[in-house]
Order: sequence, then C-alpha cells, then structure tokens
Amino acid sequence: MDNIAGTKSSLNWAVQISVILLVVIWLIPTVGLLVSSFRDRDAITNSGWWLSALPVEQNFAVKAEGEPVSKDGVNVIEGNVFGEGSGTVSKFGGRRAAPDAFKAGETAELTKGRTLTMQSNGDYVYTSPAEIKRAPSVYFAAAQPPEFSMVNYETIMGSANMDRAFINTLTVTIPATIIPILIAAFAAYALAWMDFPGRGLLIAVVVGLLVVPLQLALVPMLKLHNAMGVGQSFLGIWMAHTGFGLPLAIYLLRNYMVGLPRDIIESAKVDGATDFQVFTKIVLPLSFPALASFAIFQFLWTWNDLLVAKVFLPSNSESWVMTVKIADDLLGSRGGDWGILAAAAFISIAVPLIVFFTMQRYLVRGLLAGSVK
Amino acid sequence: MTKTYLTGAMALALMSTTALADGHLPFAPGEGAFSWDSYTAFAEANDFSGQTVEITGPWTGNEKEKFDKVVAYFEEATGADVNYSGSDSFEQDIVVSTRAGSAPNLAVFPQPGLAADLASQGLLTPLPEGTDDWIASNFAAGPSWVDLGTYADKDGNDQTFGMFYRVDLKSLVWYSPEAFDEAGYDIPETMEDLKALTDQIVADGETPWCIGLGSGAATGWPATDWVEDMMLRTNSPADYDAWVANEMKFDDPKVIAAIEEFGAFARNDDYVDGGASAVANTDFRDSPTGLFAIPPKCYMHRQASFIPAFFPEGTVVGEDADFFYFPAYAEKDLGKPVLGAGTLFAITNPSDATTAFLEFLKLPIAHESWMVQGGFLTAHAGVNLETYQDDSLRAQGGILQNATTFRFDASDLMPAEIGAGAFWTGMVDYTTGKDAAEVAKAIQERWDALN
Repeated sequence: MDNIAGTKSSLNWAVQISVILLVVIWLIPTVGLLVSSFRDRDAITNSGWWLSALPVEQNFAVKAEGEPVSKDGVNVIEGNVFGEGSGTVSKFGGRRAAPDAFKAGETAELTKGRTLTMQSNGDYVYTSPAEIKRAPSVYFAAAQPPEFSMVNYETIMGSANMDRAFINTLTVTIPATIIPILIAAFAAYALAWMDFPGRGLLIAVVVGLLVVPLQLALVPMLKLHNAMGVGQSFLGIWMAHTGFGLPLAIYLLRNYMVGLPRDIIESAKVDGATDFQVFTKIVLPLSFPALASFAIFQFLWTWNDLLVAKVFLPSNSESWVMTVKIADDLLGSRGGDWGILAAAAFISIAVPLIVFFTMQRYLVRGLLAGSVK
Repeated sequence: MTKTYLTGAMALALMSTTALADGHLPFAPGEGAFSWDSYTAFAEANDFSGQTVEITGPWTGNEKEKFDKVVAYFEEATGADVNYSGSDSFEQDIVVSTRAGSAPNLAVFPQPGLAADLASQGLLTPLPEGTDDWIASNFAAGPSWVDLGTYADKDGNDQTFGMFYRVDLKSLVWYSPEAFDEAGYDIPETMEDLKALTDQIVADGETPWCIGLGSGAATGWPATDWVEDMMLRTNSPADYDAWVANEMKFDDPKVIAAIEEFGAFARNDDYVDGGASAVANTDFRDSPTGLFAIPPKCYMHRQASFIPAFFPEGTVVGEDADFFYFPAYAEKDLGKPVLGAGTLFAITNPSDATTAFLEFLKLPIAHESWMVQGGFLTAHAGVNLETYQDDSLRAQGGILQNATTFRFDASDLMPAEIGAGAFWTGMVDYTTGKDAAEVAKAIQERWDALN
C-alpha cells in the first residue's frame, strides 16, 4: 500500500520536514557556540546567546563624581551619565534596588530629602540638604545595542606559542594518522585473504581489543616508553596513537577487504601474482574509500585528543598541542572564560572541517561499501 | 608610610612596562618594600648554572604568569632554569607521571589528601631535614602547617613532605558596599546578626544570598566549604579534627546539624537567588555576578579569597566589592575560627637545584613577589605586609595571621573518594531535597567501604 503515488509525495514532505527539523536541532548548539565566541565573558553571563542580536534594556550605575555646589541651602551635583559619549535614558532611579523606578524627565524623591532629576539625554541634577561626603551613585536604564567583537579570537591567535602549538598538533596528527593505516592495511589483507592457522582467533582478538579502554594502558605504556628510552616525545605519542588506533583500523579495513569480489583476486593468483602484488595492485586501490574513511576518523580523533597528548608529550609549553594550550593556558585558572572556550572551539575545528569536506565523499562511500550494490 | 606606598605604586607601574619589555625581573633587586637582604645572601650562596628544575602544578593562565615572575628571581639568583607548567587536570596528570617514572622535580598539590596518597605509595621524597622546624617557627600557626604537610611514607613512618606556599582564605562573605550602604545594612559581627540580616533583607523584599555549586565534574564543592565553616562554628576544633579523621562518623548528629545549618540558608527559597532549586545548577563562577547586577540579585556571597577573579570586568575590590569575616555564633564561645586551604610543594624527583628551590621558597621575597601581583596570601610570618597588592588582600592576610583557630578545608584532607567525591555529590543531593541524615549516612557508608 505504501507504493500508491498519492501517499508517497505527502510522506516525502514529512520526511523532508523532519530532516530539516533534525538538522536545525543538531545545529543549535553549534550556532550558540559561534554566537558566544563573539561575546565577552560578562555578556555571556548576563544574557543568553539567543538574545544577543536584540538591543537589550540594561541597567547601569554611574558615580556622580561632579563637585558638589551649594545652591539655595542645598548641595547640588550636576553631570551627565554618559560622560563624553551619548545615549538615551529611558528610566532612572536613586537606589540600586530600584534602578528604573522613575521615567526620564521626572524628579525622584529619595531618602533624607535628597532628590534626583534625570533627562533622557543623560543630564542629571542631584540635590541633598545635607553635605555630600561620598559621591553617590545614580542608576539608569538605557537600551544597549548588541555588541559583538573579535576580541576572543584575537586573544587566542595573539597568545604566545599558538603557532607552535598548531605545528605541534600537525606533527602529532599526520604521522599518527598515516602509520596506523599503513600497518593496518597489511594486517587487514592478511586477515582477509591469506590462509594461515589461528586466523579466526586473531580476528577475534582484534575485535576484543576494540572494547579495551585506552585509559587502562596509559601508565604501563608510559613506563614502557621510559624503559625503552623513548620517554615523553613525539615518537612516543605516534606509537601510542598507532597502538590505540590499530584495532579499529584493522577491523574496518578487514571487513571491507573481505567483501571485495573473490574472482578478481583468484584470477590474479592464477595468473601468477604474489600476495604482495595482489595487495598493492588490486586490493589497495580498490580499498581506497575504506582507507580514506578510516583516515578521517583517526585524524579527527588525534586532532581532538587531549588526554594522550598530556600523558605522552613533555609538559613544557614548547611541546603543547593545541588542545593542551587551550585547556591549560587560555581558559584561565578554573576555566571561567566561556567566550575563549567558544572561540577556541571554532579555531581548532577549522582544519578538521577542511579535511572532512575534502574527503567526505569517500567517507560516505566507505561506510556504505558492501552494503549496497 | 605614604612614601613607601608611592614607591610601591611606581614599582607596580614600572612592572607592567619593564616586565613586558624584557620578560625579566619585575622589580630590580634593592627597590621597593621587599625583603632583599635574605635574597642577596641566598644569591651569593647558591649557584646552579646549567641545572633545570621542572615543576608542575595547578596554576594556569594568569596565575602561571604570576608564578613565572616569582621563579625569575630564583633563576636570577642561582643561574638555574625553571620550567613551570600548569595543568587544568593536575590531579590526574601527577598520578600518571609519578607512577610511570616521568615525574617533574617538584609538584604543587592543591589538596594535601592527594599528596598523602602519593607519599604512602613512596612516590614523594621527604623535605630536607630541618624544614619542619623551620616551618613551625616561621609560619603563623606554624605547627598546624607542619601537621598538614606530614604524612606516612611507604613504611608507615611520619615524615614531612609538603611545604605550604599560597593560602586561600575561605571564611569570607563578599558583598557590594554600595548596595549595603543604600539599603542601610550593617556588617554583621556575629552569626546571630547574620541570620537577622538575612531575614531583614527578605523582609525588605530582596534576596540575601547567591549560592552556586556548579563546577563541572567537581560540582558540589562550594557546599562542602559551607558545611566545614558551619562545623567550626557549631563544634570545637577537636570535633572538627575528629570528623576529618573519621573518628567522628559522618552521620554523627553534630555533622548532620552542621549540614542542616547550611541547609537553613541554601534550602530556603526566600534566601537564595533563583530559589533553592537553582543552587545546584548555578555555576560557582557565575554566582557572584548576582552581587553586581542592577538591581542586585543578592546581597551576600560566601566564597574563598580567590573569587574576585570571577567578578565582572572592572570591578574594584575594596570599592565595588568587599568582604567581611563569615561570623561565628556569639553564644557558642568558639572564638573566631577560620577555614582555609592552600597549595603545597612536594618533591617528586630530588636534585640539588630542587632543594635550593625549596630554600628559595623560605625567603620572604618568594612570597612578596607574588603578593605584590595580587591573588596571593601567605602564612609566612616574615613577609612585609606592605607588599600586598591592595588593602583588601592585606586585611585577609591579617585575618589569617590573627585567627584564633585555623583549620584546613576538610574535604581536601579526607580521602579523595570522600573529599573529592561522595561529599560533593552528597551535598548536591542534599540541596536538591534529600534528607541530611540520609545523605550523611550514605557518605559514611562509602567511607566504611574504603577501609
């Protein structure tokens, strides 16, 4: 019944609407992060990012700093709340607890016979029968235009050693992506197409390793590296990432290779090709989508990694990768700078995005490979 | 007097330019109100050119910058290089690196409990002989600092492993003097007054307190400070120590009473900004901003001395914001107890230059050169208090040096699974409506399971 022409189009509509809805829901956090990255810390704590595009009525406090003058027995301070600048006062008040009790132009009767008059251009007159010892504060409400700035991005880009951290991240990421692929491709071929005793068991072990959390291996691995003389170094982190990435790589590639048509490989063998020739000339080119999709996974994971980098690299600032630099240096003590956090997320996301968009067609093809004819 | 202040101010102004210019000593030796004599003697007696001291600690961002300036004096005096690196996840990193054998020379522990853990596994080296005597006679309330840095080693013998450097004062209530002034509120001198003031603010139609417990994975810790302060204000210091050591059980009526004292503030919808349900959800970094909102969202905020770092930009402590001592009950006669915390240096990988660095930390200048940069309190009795960056820090330094009872943050002393786990989550459960006795019982059960 599903194939009736009339119902199909309405279903299509429903599908499209729900897809759009899902995309919007998925994008909301990212949009919020993007908007927040242009706001400073105080603005972020004061109002939600969804309100940031609207001018908001905000309350301000200004000290009436002017010299008190004695006029007709009362002490008077005159001034303008905007100082040199300009703006429009909508409401004002003389107490912090009621900053918008009076409309601009009115005269507010305050405690102890004091009065305050404020015009909408910000001019105010404060009077007190008693001597004014301490500059009083006056309060007013004014519309604040939305404010966005690149300050967060400038802080991040301008901070010392940021370029170094970027290069360090690349130094870690590129070999840590290529090495496991090289090893895993060989292993996957052997597990898929070469007959040897214990092959099934080996595959089972690899699948089993998939579920071992890498945190378990941190201390023993670092001990091993220290004993080997590798210590905390780039070589060490390449080895660590390779080790942690291999099970998934072998598993993915083997499953893909096993699905390649048996006929091609057997004819090549009949024609006298060695296993190595079959691997390099036939299997490797055919597996390109799977290789690329794993490369994307591994690249993203090593790029975003903080834990492995902190354990296997020295802790001095010359060897910081970007994630460590952001987490330990830029976020400030106790991590209160949300604006920096948001901006840093967008800076560090840039390269993975480029990688993803240039290689995404392989990702889709690699994931679907074998499932659709 | 004014003259010294002026020089201090000039030196400060100079600091911002010269320090940027050559990234070197912020103050030339011999200038300002610093204690230079001991520094000069130290510089003449020590030469460690070519050696490196690796230090890791929890100070990141601008705290790292400040410590780097302190370290510059050591480098200048001895010719050694110091590499300090701060980490946001120091507590985890140091465990991994000491166990794997790639430890730095010195580690700065924010929690004595963690240092005690590592000491008992034989991963720390005791301080050089005589350091404990030196601390006992040169720190205000010296013996208590020695006790806090003394742990059992691998063989169960007590040794001094930690030297405290940088103290946080916790028994502080922050407020806006302007808001207090306009509303006509006075600084409460006793806990009875504080409670009366709280009710007074409610009667005036306002909200007295801002309380926020949110802190990512550490959510709940600000509540533990409240409970500890309440413990010190309702029970004797001896009871407090027994509680820390679990000789007094966590579900003892005295502890439950202290938790309920906290609940009297935090679980009253009228007392807390956003109502009691907002307490656990509000981030502790955001909660003090309520003091400065116009109109104020609250009038008081109980938090440690570091909190001005999270005040809105441009807030001047002493003018826009100030603090008073979180008062004690007048009727209970327990003196003026002060709750604090601090970071301590411990040796994770000994060397000669490392020992010299600890010697350097004994010098007043090692403290003064951070005091002048702000955000630093010390228990070192030999420092010149004039070097504190502002009056408010000087007043806090005064509270610290005059306390009748000083007690360290209990949650930092308890085993990590309690002090940095069950206690935190228990407090979140309590503020969200669970019964105090039930929460305390659950924490005690976790503690029993440890042994």
